[in-house]
Amino acid sequence: MEDFERELRQAFERRPAPPGLKRRLMEKRRAQRPHRTVVFWQRLAASIVLAAVLAGGVVWRNLEERRKGEAARQQVLTALRITTRALNQMNTRLAAHGRAAQE
Amino acid sequence: MAHDWQPDFEQLVDEHQSMVFSLAWRMTGDRGLAEEIAQDVFLELDRNLGKIETAAHACFWLRRVAMNRSADALRRRRVRGMDLWVEMEDVHGVPAEDRGSPLSARLEQLLATLPEPQRAALVLRYQEDLTPEEIAATLEAPLATVKSHLQRGLKLLRAKAQNHLKEYVRGA
Repeated sequence: MEDFERELRQAFERRPAPPGLKRRLMEKRRAQRPHRTVVFWQRLAASIVLAAVLAGGVVWRNLEERRKGEAARQQVLTALRITTRALNQMNTRLAAHGRAAQE
Repeated sequence: MAHDWQPDFEQLVDEHQSMVFSLAWRMTGDRGLAEEIAQDVFLELDRNLGKIETAAHACFWLRRVAMNRSADALRRRRVRGMDLWVEMEDVHGVPAEDRGSPLSARLEQLLATLPEPQRAALVLRYQEDLTPEEIAATLEAPLATVKSHLQRGLKLLRAKAQNHLKEYVRGA
C-alpha cells in the first residue's frame, strides 16, 4: 500500500495554474472595484434615509404625544370652567333662596 | 492579541493559485471550470481579506472555500446532467505541459470515478498532504467520517488501478 500511496502523492502533485490566471483575476478584481464603491454609497445613502425616517418618526411621535397632552389639558380646563360656572349658578340660586326664606 | 501579519492579495494569489486551481481541477475534472472557481475563490478572499489573520489561516481558508465552491459546481453540473471529466480533453484541451505522466493522468481519471466525498478526502490527503484531522477541519466533517472516506477511497482507487493500470502501478 505504501508504494501505491507514494504513486498517488506523485500523481497528485499540484498542477501549475493556467498562464494568465492571475492577470484575468486582477482585471476582474479591478472591474468589480467601482461596482463595490457604488454599492457602498448606495448602502450608505439607504442607511441615511432609513435613519432620517426613524428619527422623523420619533420626533412626530413626541409632537403627537405633546399635542394630545395639550388637548387633554384644555379639556380638563374646559370641564373645570363649566363646573365652576355651574357651582357659581348653584351658589347664586341658594343665596337667592336663602334671602327669600328670611323675608 | 494584535497580529503583525498584513495580507497582500497579489502575494496570496502568487503563492496559492496553483493549490486552488489544482483542488478545483481534481474535484471537477474541468480545466475551464477550475479556473472560474479559482477566480471566484480569490475574489471572495479579496472581499474577506480583513478577516484573515495569518498566512496559515489564508491557506486553510482558501482550501476550504475551494473545496466548497467545487462541490457547489459539481452539484450544479449534476442538476444540468453533465458528466464529470468527459468533456475535459475535448472542450478545454489540456496543454501538453500540464498533462503530467501517463500514470498521473490515468490515476486522475480513476480518481474522478470515485464518489465525491472520497475524492475530496483523497485529494486533500495526497495533493495537500493533510492529516485526517486537518481534512476533517477543512471539510467541516467528523474525523471518523473522513477516515472512513480515506480508507474506502484508497481501497476503491487501488482496486480500479489494479484493473486498469497494471502496466504502471508498482505493488498494485
